[in-house]
Amino acid sequence: MLAAAVKLVPQLLCFAGIVLVLLRGLHARRSTVIAGVGCGFLLGTAATLVLFRTVAAAASLAVIRDVIGAAFLLLCGVAVASLYLSTGRAATEPPSGGFLRGAVPVGAGALLAGFVSAAICASRLPDVAAGAVPAALILVVAAAALIVAASALEKLLPASFTASPASLAAAVVALLLFSSSSIIRLDLFSPLTMKVMKFTHDFVHQFFESMLIPDHLFIRSYLWGYIGLFFGKEVGFWGGMVIWFAPALLILLAVRLEPLPMVSHIRQGAQRRRLLAEAIRNRRLKLVLPLIATLLLGGAIYKSRFPSVEYWDPKPVAVTPAASGEIFIPRKGEIELEDGRLHKYLLKQGGREVRFFVLMTPAGKLTVDLDACAICKPDGYGQAEGTVICYYCKTLIPLETVGKPGGCNPVPVQFTEKPDGVHLDSVALANLWSSTVQSTTKVKEGGK
Amino acid sequence: MKRLLKPLVVVLTSRVTAVVVMGLFLLVYVGIAFFTDETLVALIALTGKNPFLIALFALLPLNTAGRMVAEGVEYLGRRRALSGSAAPAAPLFDETVQIPAAADPSILEERLKKDGYRTRLSGGTLSAWRGSGTFAARMLYLTATFCLFAGILISLTTRTSVRSTVIEGEPVLEDGSARVERVVLAEGEGAILAKTLDIELAGAAPGDRTRVYGLYPPSRYQGTFLYPRYLAVGLLLRFSAPDLQPGFEEFSVLNISRPGKEAPRPIPGSPYKIIFSLADPGDGSEPYTTGKMVFLFRLLKGKEVVLSGSAPAGGEFAKDGYRLQFPDVRRVVITDFIRDYGVTLIWFAFAVYLVAILLWLPVRLFLPRREMLFVTGTGAAVACSRAEGRGRRHAGVFQEALDLLESGHARETQKKVQ
Repeated sequence: MLAAAVKLVPQLLCFAGIVLVLLRGLHARRSTVIAGVGCGFLLGTAATLVLFRTVAAAASLAVIRDVIGAAFLLLCGVAVASLYLSTGRAATEPPSGGFLRGAVPVGAGALLAGFVSAAICASRLPDVAAGAVPAALILVVAAAALIVAASALEKLLPASFTASPASLAAAVVALLLFSSSSIIRLDLFSPLTMKVMKFTHDFVHQFFESMLIPDHLFIRSYLWGYIGLFFGKEVGFWGGMVIWFAPALLILLAVRLEPLPMVSHIRQGAQRRRLLAEAIRNRRLKLVLPLIATLLLGGAIYKSRFPSVEYWDPKPVAVTPAASGEIFIPRKGEIELEDGRLHKYLLKQGGREVRFFVLMTPAGKLTVDLDACAICKPDGYGQAEGTVICYYCKTLIPLETVGKPGGCNPVPVQFTEKPDGVHLDSVALANLWSSTVQSTTKVKEGGK
Repeated sequence: MKRLLKPLVVVLTSRVTAVVVMGLFLLVYVGIAFFTDETLVALIALTGKNPFLIALFALLPLNTAGRMVAEGVEYLGRRRALSGSAAPAAPLFDETVQIPAAADPSILEERLKKDGYRTRLSGGTLSAWRGSGTFAARMLYLTATFCLFAGILISLTTRTSVRSTVIEGEPVLEDGSARVERVVLAEGEGAILAKTLDIELAGAAPGDRTRVYGLYPPSRYQGTFLYPRYLAVGLLLRFSAPDLQPGFEEFSVLNISRPGKEAPRPIPGSPYKIIFSLADPGDGSEPYTTGKMVFLFRLLKGKEVVLSGSAPAGGEFAKDGYRLQFPDVRRVVITDFIRDYGVTLIWFAFAVYLVAILLWLPVRLFLPRREMLFVTGTGAAVACSRAEGRGRRHAGVFQEALDLLESGHARETQKKVQ
């Protein structure tokens, strides 16, 4: 219980941070913010318990992750809009976000922020699927205490520390992303890098076809080497970084480009300079919140890249096929195939080393798969918290879907399950490995 | 009608339209990503078929054209205002100030000249400017953007592609209008292409000249681009086996343009399958380029290899009652015939983008446009200011100029009183 409570500390601190920035940014609507965020947390906790009881854990977490993703998309829109408002010809004064400071939008925003924060926290509760009501109640009480603490702390902040609506949105979403990044199945950055990698690959391919550019067969290898850079995982990582930081940086830029007040109608130079200096100082203070958001987003990336999770990744056990080419792996013995853990094996044949694993899925079915997928370089898989992770692209594959082909899933191998264990054909296995590795290496090297 | 046109004009000339449209397409992309991994391909296919998405996409080039018109009108209006032929309007400038009491703006002329501004004084109007401005670069940028989006739109909605097998000695398409005389693969020259590929087509009618269709830029045949996808070898195969009489003859297209690559050819109605590959000449040359092809083959009956060997183009191999003959070999290019009127526009757009950047960068860095306009009436004055860069310094000069105008007025009034 204590360990579970400790695990929740980062998420609860992020929630307190959200309350704090909302109270400061929407100072005139303190009671609305407190009521909204409190109700949101209560509703979010209850909804998460219901969700986990209704659908499988993987699907529930996917729903929560999609909601966080939607919040990130919304932030992107806010960032673009704020930049446009700051730089447009009509912009003669900083955007105040008048409508957004009304009671209804403030209440709705606080409710949503509290709701999503609660969903992230509640998904970390022990036995959430079994409906951990007492733990949920403790969580809600803790959240209420944090709201009170944040409210008290906010009063101690200097009055000059203000936030534009866009900066506020950036801070709240960054806190949500930071909060979710320590739960590997809620982490958004890894799937984002994967999507960017796929998009870049498809875009380059489509561009070549659309522009009728000759295929790699006709292009000099050094040049194709450069084009091949677009197909590596680095593109996914750096492209993901650009997208990840873009909203916060755009908001920083929008604040920096906010127009200074018009002072040409004032005939005293000293007064003009004083007004401008004051405006510049206020503008600089407004940069603090988006800068904090940028740091939080950086922290979320760090947590995504270096999760504090130890993957189960056993050393592959060497197997030797019989004269008929059959490989037999016993169900019980030194290795228990049905223990729900991933068991890796190594077949050496004709100078090739073929890695594969056997795993009992949560549905109770044995599956045999290559330690490689059809997309990435064959860096293999590790197992953690109901998922296996592709080491190359860091995509998480729910255990329920291991054994199914497609995407970054491990490539399934045909096998025969008998009462004594698993039987598979070494030649078919070696051929499958060769064809998979050949195609993924081609992609990595920039083939089309 | 005017009430209908007004919102349309607003949409077409707004800075926001393009961003909103692209945002909507991003949302569609994200939506598609929930259902398929091939998101981009699916989005392209969906946009090409869906009239609503086509109309939405069409807003992009239309909005760019609208921006060109709006910014052009604004530019001309500003020019007219600076030349004194039209009254200054507020939206043309960044800042417009009215001074209730001002001296004749001629007192500013020398001062502004010292600050590096060029001036024009006519009547009660003084205009001052420096730098050349990024208007030309901006227009080029908008032109490029228009061409890019128009090209993509045309390509999305009208592109057709037909894949065809181009075989030496055969008509290029089924219409029989031209015959492929030769396919020439050679080492490329230059920094980009490692190989060149020329498809020589002879006219359908006798006496028509032979035309060569190269690799890049893509050539057009009857209005369609020839886009070679990959190379193959056409082989006329005669095969007979002890249990397969009188034998089998067929022209096969094999995907084995390079040594080491294997292609299977099942013999229909029999348990036989032949796996072909090209032998490596060992001297670094490519059989497809030189035309000197030696075929390696493995004959399988079911899963069992019953025969393996090699034979050159035009040769044969016979053993144990099996006979393989390769009487005719031809070079083949699997080619897409693509009708796409958007491609040229898109390439043109890239070229114009390059020119726009090359023009914009030095102007923005070294010659940013800064403008001031002072129009005096009876005592009062309207002053306007606009800066493309280094706005703070320009604003300082502008404000000091206004101070001068007002203090000059005060001095003039004092003199009159005395």
